[in-house]
Amino acid sequence: MTELFVVITVIVVALIFDFTNGFHDSANAMAGPIATGALRPRVAVILAAVLNLVGACLSTAVAKTISGGLFDDSLITAPIVLAGLLGAIIWNLVTWLVGLPSSSSHALFGGLIGAVIVGAGLSSVNGSVIVSKILLPAVVAPLVAGLAAAWCTRLAYRITRKTPSVYSNTGFKYGQAFTASMVALAHGTSDGQKTMGVITLVLIAANLQPSGTGPQLWVIIAAGVAIGLGTYSGGWRIMRTMGKGIVEIETPQGAASGAATSATILASAHLGFGLSTTHVSTGSILGSGVGRGAQVRWSVARRMLFAWLLTLPGAGLVGGLAALLSDRGVSGVVALMVLLAVACSVIYLFSRRHKINHANVTDSHEVLVLAAATPPTYADDPRLDAPAKPKKVKRPKAKSAA
Amino acid sequence: MHIDWGALAIVTVVSITTSVIFTILLAAGIRLVSAAKIRSNQGGSGTVTISLGYALLGVAGLLVLFGIYLIVPQFH
Repeated sequence: MTELFVVITVIVVALIFDFTNGFHDSANAMAGPIATGALRPRVAVILAAVLNLVGACLSTAVAKTISGGLFDDSLITAPIVLAGLLGAIIWNLVTWLVGLPSSSSHALFGGLIGAVIVGAGLSSVNGSVIVSKILLPAVVAPLVAGLAAAWCTRLAYRITRKTPSVYSNTGFKYGQAFTASMVALAHGTSDGQKTMGVITLVLIAANLQPSGTGPQLWVIIAAGVAIGLGTYSGGWRIMRTMGKGIVEIETPQGAASGAATSATILASAHLGFGLSTTHVSTGSILGSGVGRGAQVRWSVARRMLFAWLLTLPGAGLVGGLAALLSDRGVSGVVALMVLLAVACSVIYLFSRRHKINHANVTDSHEVLVLAAATPPTYADDPRLDAPAKPKKVKRPKAKSAA
Repeated sequence: MHIDWGALAIVTVVSITTSVIFTILLAAGIRLVSAAKIRSNQGGSGTVTISLGYALLGVAGLLVLFGIYLIVPQFH
C-alpha cells in the first residue's frame, strides 16, 4: 500500500517536473523569434508546445536508465527518484523566478546525486562522470554554439550588406521560424523521453510493469501533454532574459543564431557528444551578439554561468534534504508534498510582484524579483555594462506614444 | 576519466560547418531574391537572379528537411 502511494506520488511529481522542464526550455527555441518578431509570442509558444508534444510522442527509444552512469542503477529507488525530482523542480522554479536559463537535465542529475549521496554516501557517485558528462559539456556547448553563431552572424550581415532590410527581414524571419521549430521538436524527442523513462522505471521497480518493456501509451501521452502545457505556459521570465537580456537581437542575427542552435543540437545528439539544449541556445545568442559587434550584457552572461555552475549543487542540496524525508513512508511523502506546495506557492507569489507574460515579454530586458526594492535604472548608469543605445532609442518613443 | 575528445571535435566541426552553410544559403538566397525584386520594381527583368535565389533557398529548405529527418526516429 505504502509502495503504491509512493509510486503514484512519483508519477505525479515526475509530470510536474516535466511541466517545469517545458516552461524552462520554451525560451531555448522561441526567445529569438519572439525577440525579433519573427513569431508573435502566443503563436510561438503554441507552435513550440505542439512540436514538443509531437516530439515526445515520436520518441521510441526511451532511455532505460536515468542514472546516466553517474551512479549504480541499483541505487535508484522510488524514494530517491522522488527526492531527485523535487530538487530539480525547486531549482527550475527558483531559476525561473530570477529569469535565468539553466539545464533541466542537469537539475535532474543534481537532484538525484544529492538524494543518492544522502541515501548511499558520497563514494557511490562517480565523480569523473560528473566532469566528463556534465561540467565539460556545460563549458563546451556555449563555446561551440557561440563560435558557430558568431561566424553565421558575420556572414549573414556581410552577404546581405547591400540588401535593404525591408526585403531581407522577411526571409530571415522565415529562416528563424523554421530553425526554432526544429529546436522545439528536437527538445520534445529528448526531454519528453526523460520523464517517460523515470515513470517507466518506477513502474517496473514496483512490479506494475514487466521489466524490459517500453513506456505504456498513457505514460507517453501524459508526459507529452505535461511538457506541451509547460512549453505553452511560456516561462516568460526566462524568455525575456534570453531574448532581450543578453543582447538586443536583430533579425539576421536571430536567424544566424537559430541556425547555429539547431545545427549544434542535432550534431551533438547524433554524433555522440551530448550537449544541453539550454547551454547551446544561450551560447548561440551570446555568440551572435559578439558576431554582430553588439554590446553584450556580460553581467547577465556571468550570472547565467554562475547559475549553471550552481545547478548541480543547488538541486543536489534540495534533493539531499528531500531524501531525508522521502523514504519515511506515507507520512514522509505527505510532508514532502506539503513542503513542495508551500515552496511553489511562495515562488509564485514572489513572481507576481513583477509579472512577465506574453504581452510584456519584450518590453524590457530586466527580470526583477523584488520590483519594489529595486531602484530605477538609467541608460547612462555607469553600473550597467548594458548598451545605452537601445534604451535611448526606446525612451522617447515610449514618451511620444504616451 | 573518459572524455571522448574525438566525438567532441567532430561535433564542433559539423555544428559550425552546417550552420555556416545554412546561413550562407539563406542569406545569399535572400540577397538574390531581393535584388531581383528591386530590379523588377524598377522595370527590369530578374528572372535568372530570382530563380537562382529561390534555388539557394530551396537547398536551405532541404537542409531543414534533413534536420527533421534526423530528429524523427521513425525515419531511420
